[in-house]
Amino acid sequence: MKGEILYPGAFPMVRVELAEGEHIKAESGAMVACSPTIDIESKMEGGFLGALSRKFLTGEKFFFQTLRASRGAGEVLLAPTVPGEIVVLELDGVNEYMVQKDGFLAGADGVTIDSQMQSMSRGLLGGEGFFILKMSGKGMLLLNSFGAVHKIELKPGQEYIVDNSHLVAWSTTTTYNIEKATSGWVASFTSGEGFVCRFRGPGLVFIQSRNPGGFGAWVRQFIPVTE
Amino acid sequence: MIASTPNALCFGDEFPATGMPCLVHVEGHGLTMTVLSDRDAGERRSESVPFSELTVSVGGLDHDQLVATWREPTGQRTLYLKHSDVIRAFRQAAPDHLTIPLERAAEQVRQVRQRHRIVWSIVGGALLASVLGLWFGSDLLVEFAVDRIPIEWERKLGESAYHDFLALQEVMKEGPAVAAVNEITRRLAEQIPENPYAFDVTVVRSDIVNAFALPGGYIVVFTGLMKKAESPEEVAGVLAHELNHVLQRHGLERIVKQLGFVAVVSIVLGNPPGLGGVMKQLGVELMTLKFGRAQETEADRTGLQLLHRAKIDPSGMITFFQRLAEKDEGRVEWLSTHPMSSARADRLKAELADMPKQTSEPFTFDWAKVRASLSDHTGGSP
Repeated sequence: MKGEILYPGAFPMVRVELAEGEHIKAESGAMVACSPTIDIESKMEGGFLGALSRKFLTGEKFFFQTLRASRGAGEVLLAPTVPGEIVVLELDGVNEYMVQKDGFLAGADGVTIDSQMQSMSRGLLGGEGFFILKMSGKGMLLLNSFGAVHKIELKPGQEYIVDNSHLVAWSTTTTYNIEKATSGWVASFTSGEGFVCRFRGPGLVFIQSRNPGGFGAWVRQFIPVTE
Repeated sequence: MIASTPNALCFGDEFPATGMPCLVHVEGHGLTMTVLSDRDAGERRSESVPFSELTVSVGGLDHDQLVATWREPTGQRTLYLKHSDVIRAFRQAAPDHLTIPLERAAEQVRQVRQRHRIVWSIVGGALLASVLGLWFGSDLLVEFAVDRIPIEWERKLGESAYHDFLALQEVMKEGPAVAAVNEITRRLAEQIPENPYAFDVTVVRSDIVNAFALPGGYIVVFTGLMKKAESPEEVAGVLAHELNHVLQRHGLERIVKQLGFVAVVSIVLGNPPGLGGVMKQLGVELMTLKFGRAQETEADRTGLQLLHRAKIDPSGMITFFQRLAEKDEGRVEWLSTHPMSSARADRLKAELADMPKQTSEPFTFDWAKVRASLSDHTGGSP
């Protein structure tokens, strides 16, 4: 399986080459085009209950689609819904990533997707909800973002502060605490940041250069109010 | 080498930021870490570290990884171990000065997890309690709200629905049927102390077997129901039931409850697409169902008492409901909203048996003539 990002930038697309018999899991609706040798199956990852819990708890779509090169080698073109960069990660069986709920685009079949419950403070204040996706296993993982993706590399013990609405994914070797952006409660919110995550290395943190919620609020002011 | 798949991540200056996948073995004297630096060439680089040079702690997002650090000539090494077999082997082999702080850290993690579980249980319990509170306490809340709505508002609400309905119906203005219904209503209304409602009863010409009450005292009786009744006491039974829906402000309670519950759930859960939405729908449906039953039982009971006070034979109510339920003739709409279960009949009979016996006072009209007048009129109409 080989993945290549086409048109890098705001409106990218991924070309995945599949050898005969190989398959890839993608977010439902992610397929743009494919070779005639590819079969599209919708599959409930983790069984019906697993899919149901993922749907209700993380807001991820109920079905993943499986694109299988069952009748010979072929290629698949995949794209996310929102404008923004795509990152390709190679999972080696040891590295694991937590992904915020809209961040998953596609993964090789060896990649396992779990919904994981966060602690009360992280769930309430982190901005990703109580449930996030945990990616483990082996193989290619494609993540999508809103805006450009910026990779922060943290050495052991190194700290970095990230506005929680800009988070895309982070390694499970990192830890983070939720904090107020400034020392005072009022200033925290008037600064426009509210809560931030203080990450501590080692590991990677992927952030997106735009905040989907902030963009939504900005667009809303231009939508005419109807009766 | 026993296994060749990496079981740990090693961080250091010459390794990538994601950590270098490596193979860790626990031996008697310390750790051996093998870095598979170039897999294709099969080149392996091993480093052995004695326990005396290690510092260990607990780390990772879920505090479930063993972190071992030591110094190499090339710089600091940090090893993240997640594999439970390796961690177990380490705890068995490592000297006490390393494992004691580790056990302490592990104990702390267990405590944190325990605390999380407690917090989640409390939150879950509080949620459950508020749902149950809403379920069982809502009757009181609704009563409280309904008590504060003036009769005048209720009349206006009922009046508009009443006029909208009657505009599309053939209303009987006069005749023996109207006179009979008015007499029955008057006899019942006379027995209601401090009645704030001026009951407005309209007879509508229709074969539908039905009668209903709107908030504010507006009552509609269909001629279909009167034709089915073998005695005026049977019609009086239905009317007594409907009048009590009005007196107990059941319509208003229902409206308040339905609107109020949706409002409360929307406030509590926002407007979520998934679980919340389903719960909301389910809640609304269950609530209205439960509410309806309780109201019907109350109207039955108080209706029976009203008949008794008005010296109208209360058994007419029971026999009429039962007879309608037995004959499956269709178009008996009253039954679809008032299903006649055997439990309901038994309950009514038991209530009736508890009442002191009395002689009923007959009505002034001749029921046979009233029914005949209905047949005359409807005979000509399609």
